[in-house]
Amino acid sequence: MFGEKALELVKELKRSGDGSLPPYNEDCVRQVLDEMKALFEQNQKDVSATVAGEGGRIAGVQLRHASLERNKRCLLAYVYNRMEKIRDMRWDFGSVLPDDVKNNLNEHELSWFGRYNRSLAKYMRSVGIDLTQDSKPPKSLYIEVRCLVDYGEFETEDGNVVLLKKNSQHLLHRADCEHLIRQGILEHII
Amino acid sequence: MDPSEVDFLSEKQHVKILPNFKEGRIFLISGDLGPFEPGLTAEVPLWMAVNLKQRKKCRIIPPDWMNIGQLEERKDEEKEREYFTEMPSKSYLELASLLLKSARDDIPHADEVQTLIKDIWEIRMAKLRKSINIMMQEKETHARLDNLTHLEINSIRPFLTSALDRMHILRCNVVENPSTGTDY
Amino acid sequence: MAENKERGSLSDILNDSVDSEINEDEGEEVTAAEVLERLEQAWLNEKFAPELLESKVELVECMLDQIKEMEENLKEAGKGDLVGSLHRLEIQRIRYVISSYLKIRLKKIEKYAFHIMEPSNDKTDYISRLSAEEHVYAKEYCKNVEDLLKSLALDDMPPNINSLDKKKSVPQPNLDSYLFMKVLQPQEQVELDPDDQPTDLEEGAQHLVRYSVISSLLENGAVALT
Repeated sequence: MFGEKALELVKELKRSGDGSLPPYNEDCVRQVLDEMKALFEQNQKDVSATVAGEGGRIAGVQLRHASLERNKRCLLAYVYNRMEKIRDMRWDFGSVLPDDVKNNLNEHELSWFGRYNRSLAKYMRSVGIDLTQDSKPPKSLYIEVRCLVDYGEFETEDGNVVLLKKNSQHLLHRADCEHLIRQGILEHII
Repeated sequence: MDPSEVDFLSEKQHVKILPNFKEGRIFLISGDLGPFEPGLTAEVPLWMAVNLKQRKKCRIIPPDWMNIGQLEERKDEEKEREYFTEMPSKSYLELASLLLKSARDDIPHADEVQTLIKDIWEIRMAKLRKSINIMMQEKETHARLDNLTHLEINSIRPFLTSALDRMHILRCNVVENPSTGTDY
Repeated sequence: MAENKERGSLSDILNDSVDSEINEDEGEEVTAAEVLERLEQAWLNEKFAPELLESKVELVECMLDQIKEMEENLKEAGKGDLVGSLHRLEIQRIRYVISSYLKIRLKKIEKYAFHIMEPSNDKTDYISRLSAEEHVYAKEYCKNVEDLLKSLALDDMPPNINSLDKKKSVPQPNLDSYLFMKVLQPQEQVELDPDDQPTDLEEGAQHLVRYSVISSLLENGAVALT
């Protein structure tokens, strides 16, 4: 059935959903392109024959043309949707992709990512603001934290110096201590 | 709109505080504030009030409407009226939540106040759900909702706008293909 | 402000720096506070509108200048001060609005890149809505995407269908999307729906309508999105 392989590509992407991108399916893409070539060549033959006076070929030509359009649509959707996910990774992961992600991209996609990165960096430089930071609005409330280890002195954004001793408790801005919480030095008391 | 952004917007509202520090006028980009004198009321944006309160630099004076008497009146009015009453602030729930969380000791009868505000919210949300049902059934193509607050609008935005978008598409299809019937 | 100011207190230093009067090109004087209000509304409008709106990058630039000046003075004044920390909190808030506003625009440019850059007489001239930097970005983005589609798919397709129809087969915004708006300036006889009588829009009223019906009112500031 024409267009089956193309549909497989689309289904494969849909299955992966919001999860990680599967490896670029070179094989399947190649098969779709081969099918398109065959359909086109058969149509060319039929058109020549029709011009030469033979009848009964129009339906076949129309069917093959519809299949060609469908294959094109699925293939473009496959490439385009993968591209959108790769683009979104710049915002989620940063300008360097983790290896396990990189391995699933083909060379053209990797090069696309590089160009996207450069273009974005140029834009952000020209407006003077890093748009990949601050994805959430600043919170007014402090959070209460307990210090888990003897860390020593710590200077907040405001310039206040806090002494982080084991078991001491403090009120800090999330922005100040998020990374310390992640490292296990501070614990968020809820 | 992300709930954190709804909160962010609500924090622009001004509230009254009683500072315990002395400071001259502060010239913020968003406007001038102060001066600040211990024991004299000052008006500042909510985000600043909450910050100062947490650093024990002030007490917060709850807005006039945040007392049991007025809230009970509002609740009754909301229950009786078919349509939405005008709330004292387009961010009444966010304001109340933030104050109850960060300045509970400055709010007399905080527990009762909290319950009353929650009750009012629920009465309004029930009305909202009912209005939406009616709007869908009557196949209205637009609506006027003057007294809805930011959080109320935001809570129904995703569902309502996408439902109406779809209905519009269906309606357009019917107009183009009248033979397929008008009941959709 | 006094001529010979003693640069004593922190408040003095900070107060000196804030230019509360900003002259716009048309000779209209606007305060920094008003610019910020306009920027915040531009942010909300852009957030809820389905298509790319006119660029308000001049508001962004003005705010960035204000922030820069403020940060310079905060540095001079040193840290560990109550007032300084309050200024910093405000700066964080303004930065967030700027960042979110520019990001929302960028995402729309990416989503509708071909539609935006394709010149056409029967649709909005989106190119005029791009800032100079956005224009460069949009051009590069389109080229990058087109190159990818060509090298991975189109170039290997049969000759009669190996091109991209940038007028039809590209993502376009849904201008009939529903949204919430509030009326800033009263309007007479506005058609909120082709099947209904035109109505007058009262100041302060909130409506749930289709974008297409109010897009020109939004453009001239008569309504705002909420």
